[in-house]
Amino acid sequence: MIPDWMNQTEAGSYHGAASEAKKKGFAKKTVDGVLGFFQESLISEAFAKRKGLLQSLDPRVKLISMFVLVVGVTFMTSPWVLLVIYLLTLVLAYFSKIEVLWFVKRVWVFIPIFAGVIVIPILFNVFLAGDVLVPIATLGNGSHLGPIALPSSIYITRQGTTYVVTFILRVAACVSLAILLFLTTQRDLLFKSMRTLYVPKVYVLTISMCYRYIFLLLDTIADLFTARRSRQIVSLPLREEQRWVGGRVGYMLVKSLDMSDKVHEAMISRGFNGDVKLMHDNVMHHRDYVAIVTVLACCVILALISRSIISI
Amino acid sequence: MPDGYLGPNTYLPFWIIMIPIWYYAGRWLRTNLRTKQVPYLALAAAFSFVIMMFNVPIPGGSTGHAVGSALVAIILGPWAAVVTTSVALLIQCLLFGDGGITTFGANCFNMAVVIPFVGYYTYAFIAGKTKMTDRRRIIGSGVGAWLGLTLAAACAGFEMGIQPIINVSSAGVPLYMPYGLNITVPAMVFGHAFFFSIVEVIVTVVAFTYIARNDPTIIWNYKAVETASKPRVPAAAA
Repeated sequence: MIPDWMNQTEAGSYHGAASEAKKKGFAKKTVDGVLGFFQESLISEAFAKRKGLLQSLDPRVKLISMFVLVVGVTFMTSPWVLLVIYLLTLVLAYFSKIEVLWFVKRVWVFIPIFAGVIVIPILFNVFLAGDVLVPIATLGNGSHLGPIALPSSIYITRQGTTYVVTFILRVAACVSLAILLFLTTQRDLLFKSMRTLYVPKVYVLTISMCYRYIFLLLDTIADLFTARRSRQIVSLPLREEQRWVGGRVGYMLVKSLDMSDKVHEAMISRGFNGDVKLMHDNVMHHRDYVAIVTVLACCVILALISRSIISI
Repeated sequence: MPDGYLGPNTYLPFWIIMIPIWYYAGRWLRTNLRTKQVPYLALAAAFSFVIMMFNVPIPGGSTGHAVGSALVAIILGPWAAVVTTSVALLIQCLLFGDGGITTFGANCFNMAVVIPFVGYYTYAFIAGKTKMTDRRRIIGSGVGAWLGLTLAAACAGFEMGIQPIINVSSAGVPLYMPYGLNITVPAMVFGHAFFFSIVEVIVTVVAFTYIARNDPTIIWNYKAVETASKPRVPAAAA
């Protein structure tokens, strides 16, 4: 029996031994990446096992609700409505016993911030004309920045700001919903629930098996790179290192296919005849019906408000 | 491309395009692999996922990642690459929220259709009827990987670049990706052609050479390639 303390996983992110060397080699980066992936998976599995609001719902309900909400969000154009949905994901995270600050960090690091960096130029009247919100500089007539003709004065526009906020909130809301689904649903249940979206059984089983074997392959990769690091005294010429990495990629593919043969033989020996059967042991409760109706109703109302078809 | 970059009038058609492609790929694989289909695809998809974890050293002390779709297409066939890359993208999207749910169809079109098919057929065209270890095949794998990824990037640039044309508010403000084709296509193509696609070429060429020399029997059309590459014996000599 596994003691309780072994099941506890603290939210955090793996930083490897980042402090030990400012410039990591390709081998260390790969090993750190693999270990980071393992830790992230452990943390999210631990969240999925907590007794929170979303964890108590049927995975099929969560999958459909999340899918509908994400599609709904892409139709929404009002920053206020998108802000409401984003805040709703934080409330759901809180009631699902996910550390909200950790969740915010997990969502914002990279994707929405990257999206924000991409659209920042739209704030200025150089890219999108609009009303003055914050004056920046007066350049005079005929100013150029390389081939781009600049207006006589540069300022942040109201329309540009609204656009940038809307764009970032839309991306953040979508990423939050996807991560929330993953953090509150056990993997095997999540993959099986894809049957409700008419994903063929054979693909559901493939996805489920693939997820399990990712860990095994990653463990092998970490071993390969750790072994190399432990034998390496000085860096080899770049071409030699590239050849080594490419060779390991080829080796991993050979190993994966060899393993698939063995797995296939093991499946056949246990009676597998190509007919895929998935265990369905989920039962819908009243709260699941309430949840899905609430989500669908909210989604429709918010989309109508966002498109100014109804007003509050 | 994450959710929010493309409008519904762009991402929905890509779902509609992808559904028959997935269906046909599934039928093709079921016919050719039979009971082996599930473990074969599962492990190959796991490989497609983990290949992105390999850090490849590049000049300047930095590292890059490969997508690996062209390599998988050359080794397992383009239809297998459609499924394995799609499964890897799906897991990435559900695991990390990376890649987008609404844009999943478009991402799969770019990375699980354009890269494998362009990569594979470029490789097959250059390779001709040569032996598996022939230099032309190695060059073909590299050119296929470069062209596949660069064209996929151009497709993604096109999908993003049409947004300000087809999705603007009544006030003329873009609703999704704000930059036009004149920015998105060159940005995506140049960024990939001179950096990401080069990393892809390195990984594909070295990995293909490794497999062709050490274990060529795992290549899906190995027997056909070897038969076609054998010199024909003239009837009189026979």
